[in-house]
Amino acid sequence: MFGHNQVGVIGVAIQPSISVGERSLEEILFDLTHESLTDAGVKIDEVDGIVVGANDQYDGRAISVMMASGAMGGVERDILSTPSAGEHAFVLGALRVATGQFATQLVAAWSPTEASSLAEVQRLAADPYYTRRLPIDENASHALQASVLEHSVPGLTDTAQAIVRKNREQGAAAYPDLPSNESNGSGVRNPWPLRDRMIAPPVTGCVGLILASEDFIRERGIADVAWIQGMGWATEPSFLGDRDLGTLPGLRAAAKQAYRHAGVDDPGSAFNVGEVADQTPYQELLAYEGLGVCDRESWATAATNGDFAAGGRMPINLSGGALSFNPVFCTGLIRIAEVANQIRRKAGSHQKPGAEWGVAHAASGFAMQYNTVAVFGRGRQEAQ
Amino acid sequence: MSTPRVGIIGIGQSVFQRRREDANYPDLVREATVLAMDDCDLSFEQIDAVVYSLSPDAMVGIGNAERLGVDAVGAKNKPFLRINTGGATGISSVAAAYYHIAAGACDTVLTAGADKVGECGDSQTVLNKIWDPTYERQLPLGTISMLAMSGVRYAHKYGMSEEDMARVVVKNRSHSARNPNAHLNKPTTIEEVMASRYIAWPIKLMDCCPQSSGGGAMVLASEKFIKQNNLDAVWITGVGHSSETYWMGDRMGRGQTADHADAHALAQSFKRCYQMAGITDPKMQVDVAELYSPFSNTEFHAIEAAGLAGLGESVSGMRDGEYELGGRIPVSPSGGTLCTNAIAVTAMIRVAEAALQVWNRAGDRQVPGAKVGIANGNGGDHQFFGTMVVEA
Amino acid sequence: MQFLERQETWNITYTHALGETASWFYVQLRDHAKIYGRRDAKTGRVLVPPRAFSDESLEPTTEWVEVGPGGQIEAFTMVYAQFQGLPEPPYAFGYVMLDGADTAIGGFFKGVDLTEPEKAAEQLAIGKRVMTHFDEQRKGDVLDFWFELDQS
Repeated sequence: MFGHNQVGVIGVAIQPSISVGERSLEEILFDLTHESLTDAGVKIDEVDGIVVGANDQYDGRAISVMMASGAMGGVERDILSTPSAGEHAFVLGALRVATGQFATQLVAAWSPTEASSLAEVQRLAADPYYTRRLPIDENASHALQASVLEHSVPGLTDTAQAIVRKNREQGAAAYPDLPSNESNGSGVRNPWPLRDRMIAPPVTGCVGLILASEDFIRERGIADVAWIQGMGWATEPSFLGDRDLGTLPGLRAAAKQAYRHAGVDDPGSAFNVGEVADQTPYQELLAYEGLGVCDRESWATAATNGDFAAGGRMPINLSGGALSFNPVFCTGLIRIAEVANQIRRKAGSHQKPGAEWGVAHAASGFAMQYNTVAVFGRGRQEAQ
Repeated sequence: MSTPRVGIIGIGQSVFQRRREDANYPDLVREATVLAMDDCDLSFEQIDAVVYSLSPDAMVGIGNAERLGVDAVGAKNKPFLRINTGGATGISSVAAAYYHIAAGACDTVLTAGADKVGECGDSQTVLNKIWDPTYERQLPLGTISMLAMSGVRYAHKYGMSEEDMARVVVKNRSHSARNPNAHLNKPTTIEEVMASRYIAWPIKLMDCCPQSSGGGAMVLASEKFIKQNNLDAVWITGVGHSSETYWMGDRMGRGQTADHADAHALAQSFKRCYQMAGITDPKMQVDVAELYSPFSNTEFHAIEAAGLAGLGESVSGMRDGEYELGGRIPVSPSGGTLCTNAIAVTAMIRVAEAALQVWNRAGDRQVPGAKVGIANGNGGDHQFFGTMVVEA
Repeated sequence: MQFLERQETWNITYTHALGETASWFYVQLRDHAKIYGRRDAKTGRVLVPPRAFSDESLEPTTEWVEVGPGGQIEAFTMVYAQFQGLPEPPYAFGYVMLDGADTAIGGFFKGVDLTEPEKAAEQLAIGKRVMTHFDEQRKGDVLDFWFELDQS
């Protein structure tokens, strides 16, 4: 248990790829709010507060939470925004419920594709003092990280390719009605060493969750609950040059925090299912290691054996991950929502039968600067 | 409420100025952070998590500038997230830090940030982009014209004059003259304010806050940690937020819930934090208020929303000197937002100043014997309101 | 010690989808010089400009209602300072509740001498009647119309 009070996810709405041009962003969020409420079986009047991950530069609106608030029931309600990452909205929402001062929270994030260049948007995050004159966007930072890993683990390209195939097959099965992304745009080549399809083109997407307190869940007799057993979040330092891009101490710290709360001693065998950051397949591999489910020495074997594929010992990214659908800014919160749905047994065609314990990992920023880990279980924890 | 208490144990703030050529953006964050850490005498190893306070990125010209601030706040490999609720960001960040501890997830949380408003050239250029691109951004809206229209409605409803507005400036400047951290700190007169040029009717140059550079930081801790380490603290006993519609035009016309003249959701937010703190009669129970008023006219509806005066009644209270240092309930003894506005941390400074007051550490601006202080922050187009009660 | 500076410009263009409601509104404005609002069934308020949903009831709005062209001033200001990227001062703008509407829509006030602020403020008082004027060449934008004091 990560706090004084237990917190569960009781509602989820995931839109991993939305066709653009028909609805304004406000209208998309209005629909998302209703979908989340309906899934939870609660009315907006029962929502005590809202936390959104709203990013001004992606949205093209300064203080973007202003636009979102009305669409999400913010009027006369307590709404906060965590622009650092979509997944941070989940963290703060869960903390708020754990205080016992809130019975419920609506948590959401989104990622439009209305900017003329997402790369240019991301480049604004390079500091203007030392870095901005370099052509660094998030994909370039992921490529730098991949090249460090390639150096550390010879022959890694094949393993990375296997991850791409796995996630894309899983994505096609999970969301058969959504258009698949056959390549990375019209002949645009990814920065070396990222091969074609190793980053999916950005799409518009959004995700919402309803969190509730133990008391609320009990009083309502809500059955399908993904209880948050543990939660950890941490950041890597500011400058890429200060980091060893081939390791993620921040993820280690986040996982340690989450596992301590959840009482997970052996992450390698603790989970039936997982969703992890996979802007590139190298991110997924780093996540395996950081979460303690597979060291780099075993990456190739695990990929060959299908340990983390559907039907394997711990299927990862059954939703297809960001390699299938890439609404960039909210892919992290989608990972969390997907695992919550697995534990609620509401993952539809990509449900892992009998999922009892799951782990979600989200990463944001240049070369995975922010890492967030959430552990979900079907059973309520005994009070400590 | 059975939740264990959360205390404030450290406060740091810059000496705010128009520009800081000697320090870049993370340097300013560091400056305030170090001051707050020194204030509570903790080491960075003792900090469990960090909440980063930053409103629009465009104001400092760096996208997701909190990433660059990670080192400045010592957050490497630690829980870290950022808050943005516009001008309310600072108090929302303190609230978020409070939730980390009240949840039982952390014992010590640092919240910090900084702004260099002057570096974006013209904050109103950035702030025009807060309006919706569908119907309103084509208009020359800025935060000054937005709150000028609130002033026009307030004057229409309750009879506030431009001299009344000037009276707020004179009061706050007399306060800021006693605050070594304040940006505009020269005392002034009603005549001087009235003679300043119009910016957006009825707001004149001297009715406006400055664009400030500087940082703010606070360290919060659990009651358990404070007792175990024998630390000095003041306590956050009430926390609230509420919001109004994004659409200013919906706060007018017929049948509106919130009127743009007033601060409906601010009143609601205060009600929430008063209820939590057990305050039933703010006029009697509150000793000092640090209210977020970037323009002179908005201090009136803020005083009323805080329950320190009835609707429209703060104007006569101001004439009678009730809100001056030495008056019935001193409002913004620091000089307030009107004298210093480093947007990302302005609302945090409101909490910090209220805390210094009930801590009896407010120097020349001390309200004698203050035990209960309140603070607020407003963000967006008068849309998001955070409030807090701080007690000795 | 010499303190250095560096200039950086953010240059990103955003193409925002307006959605069905605003699209229909702007087509009527552009092609027919008419202004419409949407009714919030729960509160009965006619929202102008029209929204697909009410942020108060969190329900979809239900019907189109033609409003204006007359209306009354709900808020105004006259701006006398130059802001980067905003029009050259002085100018007056604010919010008007059009006849048949329950909320106010923003627009410029024209035809008022702004040289002396006090005199201008007497003319542009809250509650004063105004008339909507439409540009001959309309693009489908809120700047296709403006308000002038009602002379009748």
